[in-house]
Amino acid sequence: MRESRNPFRLRASEQIETDAMFIRLFEPSMLELLPQEGLWDRPQILRSAPGAGKTSLLRLFTPTALLNLHTLRTHDFGQALFQKLSSMGAVDESGPRLLGVLLSCARNYATLEDLDCDASRKTRLLYGLLNARILLATLRGAVALKRLDYPAGLSRIELVPKSEKKSEELANIPTNGKELHDWAMQLEATVCDAIDSFGPFETAALPGHDTLISLLVLKEREVRIDGTVVADRLLIMLDDVHKLTQRQRESLFPTILDLRPSCGFWIAERFEALTTNEMLSLGATQGRDFGDVILLEQFWRQYPKRFEHLVMNVADRRAGAALDGEISTLAGCLGDSLEDSKGTEKHREVLAKIKDRVEKTAAGNSVFTHWLIAPHLYKGTAREQALAWRALEILMQRELNSSQRAFDFSLSINELEAKDGSDVRNAADLFISDEFKLPYYFGPSRLAALSSSNVEQFLHLAGDEFEELVAQALLKKEPLLTPERQHAILVKGAGSFWKDIPRRARNAREVLVFLDSIGRFCRWTTYQPNAPYSPGVNGIAISMADRERLLTGAKPKDRQYGKLADVLASCLAQNLLDATLNYKCKGANWMVLYLNRLLCAHFGLPLGYGGFREKKLKDLATWLDPGYREPKKDEQLI
Amino acid sequence: MSTGIVPPSPRWENYILESGPNLIEFFGSHFSTARDVCFILGKGFDPRMCSGVEALIQIGGKGRRDVVLVEYDEGAASPSNAYQGFVDRNLKQLQELVSEKAISSRSVKMFSDDGRRTTSRSAEGLFTSIDEFKPYGDVVVDISSMPRGIYVPLIAKCLHLIDTSGRKDLNLHVIVSESPHLDGQIYDEGPDETADYIHPFRGGSDREGSGKQPRVWIPILGEGQVVQLKRIYDLVVPDEIAPLMPSPSLDPRRGDDLAYEYRELLFDQLRVEPRNIIYASERNPFEAYRQLRQTIGHYQLALAPLGGCLSVLSVVSTKLLSVSALLTAYELKQAKINIGIAHVESQGYRADDSCFETKKSQAVLFGMVLTGEYYA
Repeated sequence: MRESRNPFRLRASEQIETDAMFIRLFEPSMLELLPQEGLWDRPQILRSAPGAGKTSLLRLFTPTALLNLHTLRTHDFGQALFQKLSSMGAVDESGPRLLGVLLSCARNYATLEDLDCDASRKTRLLYGLLNARILLATLRGAVALKRLDYPAGLSRIELVPKSEKKSEELANIPTNGKELHDWAMQLEATVCDAIDSFGPFETAALPGHDTLISLLVLKEREVRIDGTVVADRLLIMLDDVHKLTQRQRESLFPTILDLRPSCGFWIAERFEALTTNEMLSLGATQGRDFGDVILLEQFWRQYPKRFEHLVMNVADRRAGAALDGEISTLAGCLGDSLEDSKGTEKHREVLAKIKDRVEKTAAGNSVFTHWLIAPHLYKGTAREQALAWRALEILMQRELNSSQRAFDFSLSINELEAKDGSDVRNAADLFISDEFKLPYYFGPSRLAALSSSNVEQFLHLAGDEFEELVAQALLKKEPLLTPERQHAILVKGAGSFWKDIPRRARNAREVLVFLDSIGRFCRWTTYQPNAPYSPGVNGIAISMADRERLLTGAKPKDRQYGKLADVLASCLAQNLLDATLNYKCKGANWMVLYLNRLLCAHFGLPLGYGGFREKKLKDLATWLDPGYREPKKDEQLI
Repeated sequence: MSTGIVPPSPRWENYILESGPNLIEFFGSHFSTARDVCFILGKGFDPRMCSGVEALIQIGGKGRRDVVLVEYDEGAASPSNAYQGFVDRNLKQLQELVSEKAISSRSVKMFSDDGRRTTSRSAEGLFTSIDEFKPYGDVVVDISSMPRGIYVPLIAKCLHLIDTSGRKDLNLHVIVSESPHLDGQIYDEGPDETADYIHPFRGGSDREGSGKQPRVWIPILGEGQVVQLKRIYDLVVPDEIAPLMPSPSLDPRRGDDLAYEYRELLFDQLRVEPRNIIYASERNPFEAYRQLRQTIGHYQLALAPLGGCLSVLSVVSTKLLSVSALLTAYELKQAKINIGIAHVESQGYRADDSCFETKKSQAVLFGMVLTGEYYA
């Protein structure tokens, strides 16, 4: 395969072929996700929507990645990562100290459930396959870690008992690496050949196990090569666990806990593994015997600045890895000011129009006499003045709408300054952008915000911008994207994201109608002339009590909400909505559902969090069918 | 399975493939003698559902004309449900062509009780014994209104039953009504979140024991399948990609259009070497079959020092070309060569309203014979 012209397009970890390139592109701040304690001795669960970076994180701990990191530890791009992993005890100056075994569950495990045999038989086959694969991957990893040839190096491996205590289940498990490898290969082949054959076939003769004896093997025996222990630590990583069936997951998790493995055990899965109820309970449960469940998107949402730092560093690493290498940083190529000569000219026009409109509104009304002569309206650049006048217009609308205004006393400049907060200014910025078709979605911060805490979403958007920069470099132009171009590229990306929803989500039609309802409702609410929820609304909320009704559906009248619950779960699983549970507001607890930030761009909404409106289940049910209906002009804002 | 094996000589080096008037002429000749026929077709809304059985009935000839209707329920959320009226219309037409007594139906279980996709395993189990074909001299599978996840395992199972029974007299026909225009108006919606292998073509890709073997992925390209291709890629994680482009084709620009449509995915994201692209006529699945075999043979030979390779085919193209993947996979599986067919199922299909107004005459009926007297 060829070198990459646009490395942002290499989204999934799997698409990055070489470990050296992987190390080069891996941003160390991603490791902030991992807890400080219990990492190597308590099972950990990582959950996210697709594209949040789970597999990349796991890949970092595989033998070949660690070996490459050790080799590249003195390079600029390897130093920080090496130091971080050294502090975690995964690697040191002598080499990797950890044997990481990565296994994907996106294999034929779920197929076992379709076989014509009883549940206990299916479980035996599942554990049989898992045991074979864990041991095969461990042996292969050990060989790789010591840079031996595979399979020749297997015969140098011995699994030596750590103590006199020996489990009966392990009596027939070979201790020599080569013999154990052959045993596991045979076990895997027998089961796989059977399930991949034209049916029907006899399942009773197939081999299997009652538990994860592979973990017992690794608990009771030490993996040694030529008599030396292979690594200080062993880490088993099961990826794509969402591909197991519900029954298999329910059997596997307690089995792991029961066995109390002496090694690290990480489980990574997508939200789609979860039931509607589990999905709607995300973030409500804490790990007990497992470490706290690591919810990738939610983690980054708590630390937006850290996420911005992460993705912009990711961007710089990708830009630096491009084929021609002319662009070393993405952030530096993203113009983030509207104050150039072209922008100033445009803002003068905007200012004139707004000023004219405000003065007409105020004409003959002595209430605003002082406000119109407030000094800040006449200071600063054309853009600053335009924003000030647009903010004034919003505040005037609020006063005019206020039912409590009984007297026409002139409002003071101090009152204006007190009301003219940053939220109103942000609303003014959004309103001006929308009305005068000025760029709003531009600059590194908004690019990061539009990613909705999802690395793949970021790479998609940044990749579109980088594509244009590469074209500019090719034409010998200065690689710089104006705010206008950034806005156009990102809004186009938002449109593609929207169009792609029917291809991504379960219950696609309903999901689309529901999101469209939320988006249109938020837009209608945001763009009220008095900007009642400045800077705007981009989410909805249901009470925790209503959420409970969705979860249980116990009462007959609540069963009508089954579809709504499924659609919500589908939106959450695909990161189309982002849930915050137990949000306290107006003396009650709420489940807040924010739109994916890229959908905010699609509907022309602000990107901050905090702007939401409370809704009843019966309202949301109508948003599914027939869909949200915008109130008529004479209807009150709900 | 052993690896590094070079494919045996092609089973369908000589083949029977006819289309349009030539197919009608071939059927006229073939069915001029008394023959009992088992006609298998899918129950769906596609206006071409009855084209094949209609042609067969119009040709006439003596003998039983039994129809097995393959039913599949895509679930309550399927967009296909919107077209129930057209399904009923097709059924009515079928009942006008064949007596009700001659029509039986079999169901494919699309999902397990816990909501997992079970289509291909269930389709593979539609026929379990060669005895079910005992009364017949000809089995005709019309794939015009069947999803790939059904007809690929179904035809493979028919081939398997015939091959293992030694019935060299049983003619297995596959027919499909092709219309690029109609195909462009019917598109899948709500693809599954992940791809999977079609049963029984997992091809050893699942095995940890074959984890070191290079993987070669050969997607047969068609329009509007970016999401599906991405998901198949995520499943296969290939070391080498050799896309098959339909060329020559009726629309001479089709190959260019496909290259343009998949430019970002194939060349920017997956960094496919342009020289890896293989070409085969969009209207001759046997040519595509030869190309696929040749490509896999080449990789097997080149990678023999590494123990051979795992080859994975995927069909995101026309049904006609998809038959080539099926024939290749079936034949190589029999030869103990690791080969899989990766696929993404959809929740259902959506059709433009104009699709139902399109004249069926715009579609061309293709027919091929895979086993039986012509190969004896």
